[in-house]
Amino acid sequence: MIRHLFKLIWNQKKSNFLLITEIFFSFLVLFAVLSFIFYNYHNYTKPLGFKYDNVWQLWLNPNTDSSAHNLAVQQQLIQRVRSFPEVEYASLSNSNTPFAFSQMNNVLSYGGKKDVEAGVFDVQDDYKNVMSMEVSQGRWFGPQDNASLHVPIVINRKLQEELFGEENPIGKLIPINDSTQYAVIGVVDHYRSYSEFDPEEAAYFHRINLGKNTNSIWNGLVIKVKPGAGVAFEEKMVRELSRIAKDWTIEVTTQEKMRQSKAKITTVPMVALGLVCGFLVFNVALGLFGVLWYNINRRYAEIGLRRAIGASSKQIRNQFVGEVLVIATFGLLLGLVLAVQFPLLQVFQLSASIYWESIGAAAFLIFLLATICAVYPSYQASKIFPAVALHEE
Amino acid sequence: MIQLIDIEKVYRTKTIETVALNRVNLQVERGEFVSIMGPSGCGKSTLLNIMGLLDEPTSGYVAIDGQPVKTHSDSKLAKLRNEKIGFVFQSYHLIHDLSVVDNVELPLLYRKVSGGERRKRALEALEKVGLSARTKHFPNQLSGGQRQRVAIARALAGNPEIILADEPTGNLDSVMGDEIMDILLRLNQEEGTTIVMVTHDENMALKTNRLIRFFDGQQVADSRVLEAQI
Repeated sequence: MIRHLFKLIWNQKKSNFLLITEIFFSFLVLFAVLSFIFYNYHNYTKPLGFKYDNVWQLWLNPNTDSSAHNLAVQQQLIQRVRSFPEVEYASLSNSNTPFAFSQMNNVLSYGGKKDVEAGVFDVQDDYKNVMSMEVSQGRWFGPQDNASLHVPIVINRKLQEELFGEENPIGKLIPINDSTQYAVIGVVDHYRSYSEFDPEEAAYFHRINLGKNTNSIWNGLVIKVKPGAGVAFEEKMVRELSRIAKDWTIEVTTQEKMRQSKAKITTVPMVALGLVCGFLVFNVALGLFGVLWYNINRRYAEIGLRRAIGASSKQIRNQFVGEVLVIATFGLLLGLVLAVQFPLLQVFQLSASIYWESIGAAAFLIFLLATICAVYPSYQASKIFPAVALHEE
Repeated sequence: MIQLIDIEKVYRTKTIETVALNRVNLQVERGEFVSIMGPSGCGKSTLLNIMGLLDEPTSGYVAIDGQPVKTHSDSKLAKLRNEKIGFVFQSYHLIHDLSVVDNVELPLLYRKVSGGERRKRALEALEKVGLSARTKHFPNQLSGGQRQRVAIARALAGNPEIILADEPTGNLDSVMGDEIMDILLRLNQEEGTTIVMVTHDENMALKTNRLIRFFDGQQVADSRVLEAQI
């Protein structure tokens, strides 16, 4: 019967051409949208490498050029913040804290591995505690690094793999310039700070030593507050900090708000694409439904004939559902020819598994849609009375 | 072979009640070639549909091979139609998107028959009706007579014991009509197939064994053809 249906639809390919084309395009759109969604979902499910609960973000921006004055104020600000009983830990940082709209990159080379691009995160010793991070190998920064000959860094696993492969990275020296080298002192398994929906990039942490980095002002200050610290504390803290840094702009937000704001960059287009895709699928559904309804009316006599020569009403219903599935299969086969190029050619450098999953899901949705659209008209076809249908021309 | 007792068929709408068949009693024996004649609207096709299990009588008893069919499920009726009955229609009812041989294979699609066996039996049926050279053609490439021969081949492919033919020569000229009639006669005489044929053509009817006349839903005559000719 399946071969019969394929033959029937193949012989009707001219009349089914538009429907097959519509399914072909729908499959491609579904495939594209699902690839986008699956890609983001896969990233979303991977560990961030830190926790953002009860983490507040302060933006500290001096409005004067007096660096000596600003450095002094910066020192006072961090000391005052740490002195609040509501604050558990605090760390200065650059503006590229988790979920911020800021990135800083550097290019590292080691041995044969040249020009490995990695995100750079300037942090203080308490940053690990603020962000509840775990060091999986080696150690985090500490006071013992004040006397270090080299610049200590902690790297993430991705950077370790890209620079050192399987080698133990602890103690490895990475040249910065002719006279200075980074010394790897620790490894964290993950650090994915740009967005929950972004893939993990190579990254390393660079220690802020206020004793040594005497000319730098850091805009970011992340603090871990005790549970229950709320608006009242925020107001009190800003008031007191503003008293210390009269000519500075101080803004406070939470990492939770930053996370939500950053997530919208991905979720809004995802929802928009989903809506467009849904509208398209709805149109395809209407088309399928209409064509099938028309086909059944046009093929009244054929239905009567099939009943006369031995088809039960169930077989008539299955035949019409089967025909729609065959039409969908033709459209899908055309779409597959294009879609399989994406994993095979590694287009957009996405993992092949994401493309294969999207192909599977898009095909499943198309078949599901075709079946849903076919069920009612096919049921109607199965109820046609053969004696009446045979007199239709 | 086919037994009809007190068959009534009434079509009802909200305002009108039309009696298509009124207390019809008929027994068709194995190997008979029965023709049914009567003016348009007298109930001939309704009777054929009831015999072919395509329609249910409003009241009365229908049996095939002594087995009453009233309690049969839809699928059992379909199986009976498929295995015991072949249909030939005035307007052929061929599927235009299928080739001649694929059309002939159709009844076998609803049985557990392999693709190879289906093809073999379809080709044999086409050979019986003299269309072996047209197997790959499509219905719109054939003449009316050839189309009707395809329809007969389709009815034969399932090797039925009964063929029900509803005005099989109605759309054909006399030469083609004679060709079709010869095929039906040969099937009846050589293979013993029971045939019930509705026709408007007296000459065709007189070639059969038995002629039944209908008028206003009632059977008004039932005679052996030789008697009718006298």
